[in-house]
Amino acid sequence: MTKIELTVNGTRHAREVEDRTLLVDLLRDHLGLTGTHVGCDTSQCGCCTVHLDGRAVKSCTMLAAQADGASIVTIEGMAKGDKLHPVQQAFTDCHALQCGFCTPGMIMATAALLKDNPNPTDEEIYHGLEGNLCRCTGYINIVKAVKQAAQTMK
Amino acid sequence: MSEKHAANRREDLRLITGRGRYSSDNNLPGQLHASFLRCDCAHAEIVAIDTAPALKRPGVVAVFTGEDAIAAGYKNFPNLMTFTNKAGAGILQPERPVLAHGRVRFVGETVAMVVAESAAIAQDAVADIRVEYRDLPTVVDAEDALKPAAPLLHTSVPGNLTLEWDTGDAAAVAQAFKQAAHVTKLKVVSPRVVPSPMEPRAALISYEAASGCYDVYTNSQGIGMLRWQISALTGVPEDKLRLHLHDVGGSFGQRSAVYPEHGALMIASKKLGRPIKWVATRSECFLSDSHGRGIVMGGELALDRDGKFLAARYDFVVDMGAYLTTTGPASHVRNPAICTTGVYKIPALYANFRVALTNTAPIAAYRGAGRPDIAYVIERLVDQAACELKIDRAELRRRNFIPLDAFPYKTPTLGTYEASDFNGCLTKALKAADWDGFPQRREAARKRGKLRGIGLSTVIEGTAAGFQPKDQIAIEFDADGRLEVFTVALSQGQGHETTFAQIVADTLGIAAESVTLRQSVHGKNIVGNHTGGSRSLVGAGSVCKIAAQKLIEQARPLAAEALELEPSQVDYANGAYRSRDGAKSIDLLELAKQHAGASPHPLNLIAEASVAATFPNGCHIAEVEIDPETGVSEIAAYTACDDCGTVINHAIVEGQMHGGVAMGAGQVFGEQTVYDKSSGQLLSGSFSDYAMPRAGWVRDIHMNDHPLISKVNVLGAKGVGESGCTASLSTLVTAALDAVRPLGIEHLDMPLTASRMWQMIQQAQQPQQAKAK
Repeated sequence: MTKIELTVNGTRHAREVEDRTLLVDLLRDHLGLTGTHVGCDTSQCGCCTVHLDGRAVKSCTMLAAQADGASIVTIEGMAKGDKLHPVQQAFTDCHALQCGFCTPGMIMATAALLKDNPNPTDEEIYHGLEGNLCRCTGYINIVKAVKQAAQTMK
Repeated sequence: MSEKHAANRREDLRLITGRGRYSSDNNLPGQLHASFLRCDCAHAEIVAIDTAPALKRPGVVAVFTGEDAIAAGYKNFPNLMTFTNKAGAGILQPERPVLAHGRVRFVGETVAMVVAESAAIAQDAVADIRVEYRDLPTVVDAEDALKPAAPLLHTSVPGNLTLEWDTGDAAAVAQAFKQAAHVTKLKVVSPRVVPSPMEPRAALISYEAASGCYDVYTNSQGIGMLRWQISALTGVPEDKLRLHLHDVGGSFGQRSAVYPEHGALMIASKKLGRPIKWVATRSECFLSDSHGRGIVMGGELALDRDGKFLAARYDFVVDMGAYLTTTGPASHVRNPAICTTGVYKIPALYANFRVALTNTAPIAAYRGAGRPDIAYVIERLVDQAACELKIDRAELRRRNFIPLDAFPYKTPTLGTYEASDFNGCLTKALKAADWDGFPQRREAARKRGKLRGIGLSTVIEGTAAGFQPKDQIAIEFDADGRLEVFTVALSQGQGHETTFAQIVADTLGIAAESVTLRQSVHGKNIVGNHTGGSRSLVGAGSVCKIAAQKLIEQARPLAAEALELEPSQVDYANGAYRSRDGAKSIDLLELAKQHAGASPHPLNLIAEASVAATFPNGCHIAEVEIDPETGVSEIAAYTACDDCGTVINHAIVEGQMHGGVAMGAGQVFGEQTVYDKSSGQLLSGSFSDYAMPRAGWVRDIHMNDHPLISKVNVLGAKGVGESGCTASLSTLVTAALDAVRPLGIEHLDMPLTASRMWQMIQQAQQPQQAKAK
C-alpha cells in the first residue's frame, strides 16, 4: 500500500492505495470523480485525459503514486461555478459531442493544446488531438470547437 | 439556421461537466467484481478446467464455469430472423451457453468468470485458472467455412450454413442476362469491422431474493429490446427484470444484442446474493463485442445496348462469426434485400444469401446493418459498367433512375420506396462539388505528384422499419405539474433529449425547456422500438407530436371548466387556451399545475402509432488524393446532397452525417479486423493495431439537402442516422479507384490501407517503367 497526498480540483486529498492503483482509478473509484473515463487499455483513446501540474496526461497510463504531491484538474474542475470553461462552451456551441464519452478527455486535451499553442492551424489541431479518439462526431465539429475556443480565449 | 436549429443540446451540460452517468459509473453497496477468462484458442474442446488455484487467492469469492451455465437452465440466445429457406426451414440457431461448455469456438469466448472483492483481484485470479484444451481445426473465412471439407463448428448446423435464403425471380434474371448487350460482373468485400463505441461494455447486476427480481445496470440501445432478450435468454420473466439505463457512450448497433456476460452475472448474483459489477477492458471489447459487416458480395448487372439496366443478380456470403446474435442475420439479410434495386429501375432481380458460421467473434448490426453493403455492391457495379461502356458515370445513372412519377415504387424484391428525386439530388450534388471542374484539380494534383480521383454514389436505404408493431409515448405531469415525456427509445449520442423535447414543445407552442424527456425508464408500461435502424425520430419522434396533439384535446375540457366556458368555446394556441373574445385565457402548463398532485394527473396520457419504413437517399461525391510514394490516401473534398425529409434539428442531422461519413472513411481507409487464417487469433485487438478514424481524416463535408417530405409519418422525416455510412463506402472507394485507374488498376477492395495501395501502385507502375526503359 502507498500513501498519497494530492490536490484535485483545488481540494487536498490523502489516500492509502494499492501500489498498482492507476491515477484514473484513484480519481474514479476513490474520489468518485467519474467524469474521467476509461476507453481503452493501450493509451490510445484519451478518454482519461486530465491535467497534472498544468500538463495533459492520460490518467490510465500513470500510477496514482506517481501523482503524489501533484495538482490535478479533472473535467469536474473546469467550470467556475456556473461559468463554463471556454473549451466546454465551445464544445456545446459547435455540437462537438454526441454520446459524450470521449468529451471530457477531448476537452482536457484541447485546453492543454491551446495553452501550448493559443492559435493552432488545422494541421496542428489534428496533430494535437491524435491521442484522442471519438467514434461519433467525425471530429469535424470538434476541430470547429477548438478554433472557437482559441478565439474566445484570446 | 434558426435558433432552435442551433447546437447547445439539452444533454450537453452534464456531459461536458463530467456529470454524465455511464454504465461503469454505477455502483451498489456490497458489490463484488467479475472478470472473465476468455479462451485463447479459436476452436477446441475443453478437456478440463481447474479453478482451485483461483479460489485460493485471497479476496476471490467464487469461480463460475460452463457447468454453472448449464445448471442455471437458461434457454438460448434469441434471434429476430424470420426468413425461411426453400424447404420452409428457419435459421439454425446454435446453442450458446453463457459460459462455454465442452467446446470453444472463437478467441475471446467466455470460459470462466471469477467473482472477487475487487476488480484487480478478479483479474489476477483469472490468470490462475488452468484450462486444458484439445485443439480443433479452425476456419475464419466465411467462404472457406461453406466448403465441403471445412471444419464444422456446431453439429446442429451442417456445413456451417445457418440459412440460405433467396429473393427475386431467378428465371427472369437468367432470361434477361441472355438478352443483354453487356454484362458487368464483380466481387467485392465489405470487411469485418469492430464497432468500437468509446464506452466499453459494462454491467452491474443485483438479484433480490425476496422478489426474485434482477436489477440490471448496463449500456443498451433501449429498454424493451434488451429486457426481451435477457428474458428470452435466461427464462426470467420480463416483469422480474428491472433495467436501469442512463447515458450510453455510443453504440452503432453493437449494443443491440444481449451478451453472455449479462447471463453470467445474473447467475453469480443469484448464487452469491450480492451485486456483481463487470467493466470490459478494450481488449475484451475487441475480442468479444459483436463485430459488424463481414460480407462477401458477388454482383452481376445486365445492360442493353443503350445502357439501360435489364437485370441484376447478387450472391451474398454473410459471416456471422461463431454464434448468431439477435440482430446479425436480420440486419445482414433483410436490410440489403429491401434495397437490391438501389435507386435504379432494374426490372429483374435475384439475390441469394448464405449465412455462415466461422471461428470468429459473432457479428451483429453495425451502423447501416446491411444497407451500406448492398449500396456498395450496386454502386461499384454501376461505376464499373460505366467504365466498361465508356458512358459518363452520372449519365449512366440518369438513364436508369427510378423516375419521379413511378413512386411509390415496388421493387422486384422486398421494398416499396416512398417518393424520392434521385436526379434532383444528383444534379445539385454535381454542381455543389464542381464535378465539371475536376480535370483541372486532377491536373493540379498531378503536378504536386499526387493521384487524384473523383467518385460519386447515388444511394437509397430502407430505414426506421423497427421490430415492434407500434411506438408509444407517455406524457405525464410530475408532483409539481411539470411536463415529462417518456420514450422507450434511448439515445446513445443522437440527442433525443433535445430533439424530442423540441417536437413536443413546438407542437404545444411552449418553450422547449418546459419539456423534459425520460428515456427507457423502468416501470413505464409503454412499448416501442429501441434506438436503432435510424428509427427513433421517425417512430418515437412522430408519436411525440401525436402525443402533444392529444394533450391539447385532453386538456381542453379542463381548460374550459377553468375558464367557465364550454370546450367548444376555447381555442388553443401558443401554449394557452383562450375564449373566442380573447378576454379569458389559461396556460396549458398553469392548468397542469392546478391539478398537480392528483393521482393520476388528469392530463397524463399515452399516445401511439405504427409508423412505416422511410427511404432516405442522396448523392455523395468525394475527391481522394493518393501519394504514390507512400500509398497514403487523403479525402481532398466531400460533398453530400441528401433527402432526409423534414429536418427537425439541423445541427444534429449534420452531426449524424459527419459521424456516418467518418465511419465509412474508417472502413474504407483504415479499419481492418484481421484473424490469422491458421490459428484464428485476432491480430488487430487494440487501438494500436486497429486504425480508428482520427481528427483530420474527414476535414469538411459540404452539406446540401434536397428533401421530399415523407408521407409515412406526421413529421415528414426520414431516418438519417445511417445515411452517411451507406453513401460513403462506394463514394470513397470509387474516388480512389478513379485516382489509380490511369495506372491500369481496375479493382480495389477495402480497406485501402497505405501499404495495400502502395503495393498496388508499385506493381502497376513496374510494367510501365519497364516499357519506358
